[in-house]
Order: sequence, then C-alpha cells, then structure tokens
Amino acid sequence: MNLLLPRWSAKLGVGLGLVLAIALFGLVAPLFAGDPDAIRDIGMTPPGGGHLLGTTQTGQDVFAQLAAATRGSLQIGLLVGLMATLLSGAFGIVGGYVGSVVDELFSLFTNVMLVIPGLPLVIVIAGFVPPEQRGSWTIAIVLAVTGWAASARVLRAQTLSLRNRDYVAAAKVADEKTWRIVVVEILPNLAPLLASQFVFSVLLAILSEAGLSFVGLGSSNASTLGTMLYYAQNGFALQRGAWWWFVPPGLLIALFGCGLSLINFSIDEIINPRLRSAAARSGATRIEPDAPAVRPAPDAVLTVRDLTVVYGTHAAAVRNVSMTLRRGEILGLAGESGCGKTTLAYAVNRLHRPPAEVASGSVLFHDRDGATVDVLRLSPEQLRAFRWTKLSMVFQGAMNSLNPVTPVGRQLDDVLRTHRPRLRREERRARCVEVLRLVGIDPERLGSYAHELSGGMRQRVMIAMALLLDPQVMIMDEPTTALDVVVQREILRQLLRFRDELGFAVLLITHDLPLLLEISDHIAVMRDGEIVEYGAADDIRTAARHPYSQQLLRSFPSLTESAVGGVQ
Amino acid sequence: MAYYARKIGFYVVALWAAVTLNFLIPRLMPGNPVDTLMAKLAQRGGAVDPSVRRAYALMLGTNDGQSLPQQYFGYLGNLLHGEFGISVSEFPAKVSDVIMQSLPWTVVLVGVATVISFVLGVGLGAVVGWKRGSWLDTLVPATTVLAAVPYFWLALILVALFASALGWFPLNGGYDVTLTPGFDADFLSSAVYHAALPALTIVISSVGGWLLGMRNMMVSAGSEDYVLTAQAKGLRDARVMIRYAARNAVLPSVAGFAISLGFVVSGSIVTEQVFSYPGIGSKLLQAVQNNDYALMQGVFLVITVAVLGANLVVDLLYGLLDARTRVSH
Repeated sequence: MNLLLPRWSAKLGVGLGLVLAIALFGLVAPLFAGDPDAIRDIGMTPPGGGHLLGTTQTGQDVFAQLAAATRGSLQIGLLVGLMATLLSGAFGIVGGYVGSVVDELFSLFTNVMLVIPGLPLVIVIAGFVPPEQRGSWTIAIVLAVTGWAASARVLRAQTLSLRNRDYVAAAKVADEKTWRIVVVEILPNLAPLLASQFVFSVLLAILSEAGLSFVGLGSSNASTLGTMLYYAQNGFALQRGAWWWFVPPGLLIALFGCGLSLINFSIDEIINPRLRSAAARSGATRIEPDAPAVRPAPDAVLTVRDLTVVYGTHAAAVRNVSMTLRRGEILGLAGESGCGKTTLAYAVNRLHRPPAEVASGSVLFHDRDGATVDVLRLSPEQLRAFRWTKLSMVFQGAMNSLNPVTPVGRQLDDVLRTHRPRLRREERRARCVEVLRLVGIDPERLGSYAHELSGGMRQRVMIAMALLLDPQVMIMDEPTTALDVVVQREILRQLLRFRDELGFAVLLITHDLPLLLEISDHIAVMRDGEIVEYGAADDIRTAARHPYSQQLLRSFPSLTESAVGGVQ
Repeated sequence: MAYYARKIGFYVVALWAAVTLNFLIPRLMPGNPVDTLMAKLAQRGGAVDPSVRRAYALMLGTNDGQSLPQQYFGYLGNLLHGEFGISVSEFPAKVSDVIMQSLPWTVVLVGVATVISFVLGVGLGAVVGWKRGSWLDTLVPATTVLAAVPYFWLALILVALFASALGWFPLNGGYDVTLTPGFDADFLSSAVYHAALPALTIVISSVGGWLLGMRNMMVSAGSEDYVLTAQAKGLRDARVMIRYAARNAVLPSVAGFAISLGFVVSGSIVTEQVFSYPGIGSKLLQAVQNNDYALMQGVFLVITVAVLGANLVVDLLYGLLDARTRVSH
C-alpha cells in the first residue's frame, strides 16, 4: 500500500498546509470570533482596532462572518463531494465493470449529463424551489446530482482497464462473487483516482455553491462564502471601496482550491509517474574539452572509444565500451535485455534522455570526404544537422515510431524539408516515392496513416525513411522483434541487399544471436554494460572465448546446422 | 462515417434529454408556477388571454386535466415554433424576442474568450510540458490558484482595480448607452471596450485548466517513440514539439472540450451578472429573481442547445484531427 501514498514534495506540503489551515479556521474560529450577525452602528469600518477585518455595511464583524462562512462552505463542499463521488462510483465503476448493455446505458447517461451545462441547470432547479424550502440539503443534493458526471467518465475508463488485468481475470475464474471482486480487486487500485476525483468534487462544489449563493439562489438557512459575497455585492461594498468585505471570502476560496489542486497534483503523480521527475536536456554529456586524440582504423566509419553512460548517480549502464564500425559492414551487438545495448545505441547519436548522461569517452564519425565529426562535442544545431544525414536509425518500437495522426508521406517529407531545404515539392515527393518503391511499398501509401498499415509495412516505411538521405551508418535496434518470422526474414534480406547496393554500415542490435551469426561481419557481445566478447562472426561461432558468449551460444539449439533458414 | 453518425446520434439523444428535463423540472417541483405567472401578468395589466395561459401551461405543467403525454407533445410542438410564451419581467415582450436580443452578446463574448483561452492555455501548456525542468515549471502551481478563483469574484476584483480605481474600463454594461446598436464603428468599438473586462475574467479563470491538461499530456507525449524518432531524424526542436508532440497531446484537450465548456458557460453566467452585461446569463438571473419561469425555461433551453451545438462542432473537428476515429469498428 505504500506505493499508493503520495510522495512528500513541496507541492504536497503547501497544499496540505493550505487545506488544513483553512479547515482548522472553519472549525475553530467560529468558537471565539463572536456573533457573526450582531449589528453595530459602525458600518463599513476598515480593518484595525476591535475588528480585525473591519465591518460590513450594518456593522457586522467581517472576521466573525468569514469564520462562520468558511465552516458553511466546507460543510457543503464535503457533503457534495461525498455524494458526487458515490454517484460517480456507482455509474462509472459499476458500469465499467459490468460492461455490455449496462455500461452502454450508464455511459450514455453520464455523457448526456456531462454535456448539459451544470450551473444553468442548477439555477433552473433552484429557481423552482421556493426560498423557504431551499435548505443546505436541497442545495447539496442538487449540486451532487448535477456534478458527478465528469468523475464517472474518468472512473469508468480506469475500471475498464483494470477489468482486463490478470488478477481480476484470475478472481473471475476462481468464481468469486462480483461485489467481492469489485471491493477487493478493483476498488483498492482505484483508490488514488477516487481520492483525486473526491478532491475535485469538493472543489467544484464549493465553487458552484459560491456562484449559486452569489446570485441569491443559495441555501436560505446557511451562511457560506458565497452568501457573504452576495451581501457584499448588494451592500455596494465594491462601489464604496470596502475591499475588506469582498476580498477575504474570495481569496479564501481561491487558496482552498489551490491547496486542493496541489494535493491533486501529488495524487496525479502516483497515477502517472511520468509527470513526476523533472527532466533536463536530452543528450547531455560531461566530456572534457581536450580528450586524447583517437587514431581510427583506416576503413572505419564510426569509432566508439571508452564510452561510459551513467544514469544519474547509479551505476553505469554502459562502461568503457569501444568498438569500430567499418564502412559497409554489419556489426552485430548482442545481449540480453537490460544489458545496456539500447542505451549504447542512443548515446552514439546522443538521443539518451535524462537522467542518462555520457560520462566519458568519444564517438567519432569518419565522413566519406575524409572529415571527422566528434559527435559528443557537436553543438545542438550541428548535432541536429548531423542526425539522419550521416547516421539514421530504425527503432525497437518501430510499431510506434510513426506519428499516429499524420500521414506517413508527411513524415518522410519532413526529413527532406529539414535537411534538403532546396528541393522543390515535386522533387521531395519523387524521392519519397523512390524509397518506398525500394522497400516494396506501393507509393499510394504516402497518404496512409500508421494504423492503416500492417506491422511489417510500418517497419519497411521506417527503413525507407532511414534510407532517404543516403546515410553512411544505420543503427537498427531490434528492428524485427515484433514481427512474425516470415516478415522478419524478408525485411532482413532487403536490408542486406540495400547494404550491398548503397554501401552503408549497420549497427544491428538484437538479443537474437543466431541471427547475428548468420548476417553480420563482426559481433560484440554485451553484458552488464560491458562488451565481453568482440570479434569476427565466424570466430565467435567457432571459438567464443568468454564464458557468457559460450553460454549464449549453447542456449540456442541446432545452431551449427543453421536450421533457421538461411537469409543470404 | 460511422464516427460522425454516432456523434450526431449522441447529440440528438442529449438534446432530447435536455428538452425533456426542461419539461419535467417544473412539474416535479413544488408550487404552481402557471398561477404565479398569470398573477404577475395581471398585475402588469396584461390581457389574460387563454392562449397565453395555454402556452405557459404546456411549458410549466398544469392541473387543467390534460394528460402528461398530451402536455408533452403540446410542449414539443410549441418548442418547434419557438413559442415560449410572454416574459413577465420584460412585459409585454415575448420570451423568444428577449432571448434573440441577448443571445448574440453572450455567444460573441463567451465564444471569443473561450477561443483565446484555449489557444493561450494549450500553447503555453505545450511549451511548459516540452521544456520540463526549466523555470517554466513554476507557472504550474500558479495556474492552480487561477483555476480555483471563482469567476464572479475575479470579476469583482477586476472591476475594483481597472474600472473603479484606475478608470481604464467601464464599470458595467455591454455598450455606451448613448449609442444606437448597429454595425457601425462607434458602436462596435464601444462594445469591444465594454467586453474587455468580462472577457479577461473568463480567460484568466479558464486558461489554467487548459494549460495544466496540455502540460501533462505533453509530458506523456514527450516519451513516445514517434517523438524520439522525430528527434533522431534531426528535425528542428520547434517542429518536433509542434508537429509530433503537441499535435498528439492536444487531442485529449479537444476531446475534453465539453467538460471545460460547461464550466466556462457556468462561470460566465455569473460573470455577466457582475458586469450587468446584456447577455443571456443576466437574463437567466433576472428571470429567476422575478419568478419569470417562462423566460427561465427558454433561456435554459437556448443555453443548452448552444452548448450542445458547440460540442458537436468540436467533436466533428476531432474527427478531422485524429484519423483513427474515422476507422469503422
């Protein structure tokens, strides 16, 4: 349960402080502040003297009124918050859990309640109730009935996703009673969300009640911050400059609301941990300005020397990695998940994100024309220009590498617009058509969206995109993992053909060692952030030295027979 | 197409629900509003025409012996003709005329303020979410204060500051009453001048919600694979932010527009009251204070229809923004 408790933060501290202070004020202050309704003949006195916050038009003490009104507003807020949360739970959780027709009806009802504007409805209902019958309960019920829908929608969405989790399915198989599953399996996981919806309901209720009272439709037997503002408005506090009368009630509402929102932030951060950490710039390095010069191999296109990548203060994810990618070769990087191979791939192009940081080492790119680019020392603008023109990438999550809301043609075109600004529109289009044809995709597909393409097609679109600028290095991170075997083979065969025809070098990252043995020239085996074995593919196949590589090789049966169906 | 059909179907159901709610509320509430109205009308010297009584009765319920379904269909028929009866607070004006006079004021004020607020909030939210970890993060707690400020109180403060104390803006009203309403430069500039503070109230109060929502979605979108790909492609930072991250992050804000619009409309009704703005919110409150039930019902329906219409437009727009909705399931 510890995971469900908010982490302590300045926001949470301030939020709790505000809310508790105001709640305490509403609880305790009415006891000693005196009679809020006592009328004196010192109307509209500014703060000071006997009256901490001055007096109203009829000489009532503003401080005493504020205390009583705070209590009234909090009472209504809590009451409505509870009722609205119960209603939203009834419609959202039950509907989401039961599903089928009940869910359809509940969610239709919820959505209808959501689009009918709340306050006008409340005003109309309150308008038909004669003032003498307009008590706190009436107002609270009206506010709850009109204010639960937004929460119900949120709760329903979350319940739907919880319903399909394994432990709920297990409970269903075990034939547990529905109410028991909801109470034991679903509710505890909804707790943070319920809490934030409750907080939101309380805030909404206090605000709505204030608005309603301000227009004279509030409860006739309670004094709240809204009624106080109503009397201030009707007593011409504004026109007579009696700021001490109308500023404090509103300020109190705003501060209380601010406190509740800050608490909600902390709850949100439990629900969505990504909101929590503060990020700095990606691609950060701590490289000294004058590292020792590296003498590259004569046919190298990319030289990585002693590269170390750290995650904040934790142990290094990549430690002293050195490797050389030769022009036109395929260098395979093997290792189990979490060994640092993806971190390495990202760091080479400085795509690593905080808290990852390059602590030391160098990445040198040797251009066709003889120039050497020190990637880790490029300025942001130089780095941007370097990316994709010299070194392109095909990602692990290629299924999600395409922007879902723009046609793929636009995403290909983006590359050319940025890196080849002189090309005219038709020329850009011609190039896009050309690369799509290369990977065997109908150019008609330029207008398609990602969801209209199969997994294999999307991956081929990504490869086409990587070919657009005729790069010298292509980094491929698990390019075929999510695809079925036939498509995998087809894509790899294509890749080899392009490599032969276009002459780029490939850094191919995968956990699939047999695949690497088949298609790569050199292989590096990585474990715990370090390269433990590095050599020609044939040497590793026959004479791996490190016990870990031997173990990896043994773990794939019938490797030597190459039963996987040759790629070449 | 299925998406659009489903959306339009939903709004037809919502409209029917609102109309029916409007029919049921006065019948479920205590008291006899028709008699109250007729008495008020008689006080004002209005002819107690049986047809007037019948229009009120259909709208508000009666014990004339008509069955409920009969009343319901009569009520629907009157709505179709725009027949809401006569307003007692603006006697002898018809409710429909009172509404037609005040509606444009509110539509323009709330419409323009909402668009400004949406653009500002979503734009700022995108930048704050994208540049996470910079000083911009301090904006986030500040916006929560704004989001929690009651609209009408903010309006009071703005009036006290900019109208009473500094005299930069008029205290209240929708235009300079010495001018005749019309589409000429004098009148329009006066209307814009009078609308400045009310609009500012709506923008300040609602911008925080958009900003926060967008900021959170930007943070999530920032770690999506397509954003990483866009960065690897060497696109300019602004392009990655706008075309890849924000383009996706804005979708939930658009989808949640209905909820936010409800809050804005609720807030602006009370705001109009503070400024004595000649809009439909002021009319609603005037109707409530004078037991002008016919006007009250009419205004509620018109506000609801306007909100439903705005939401329908936004939902249709969403279909254009997100191609995935156009897939038939």
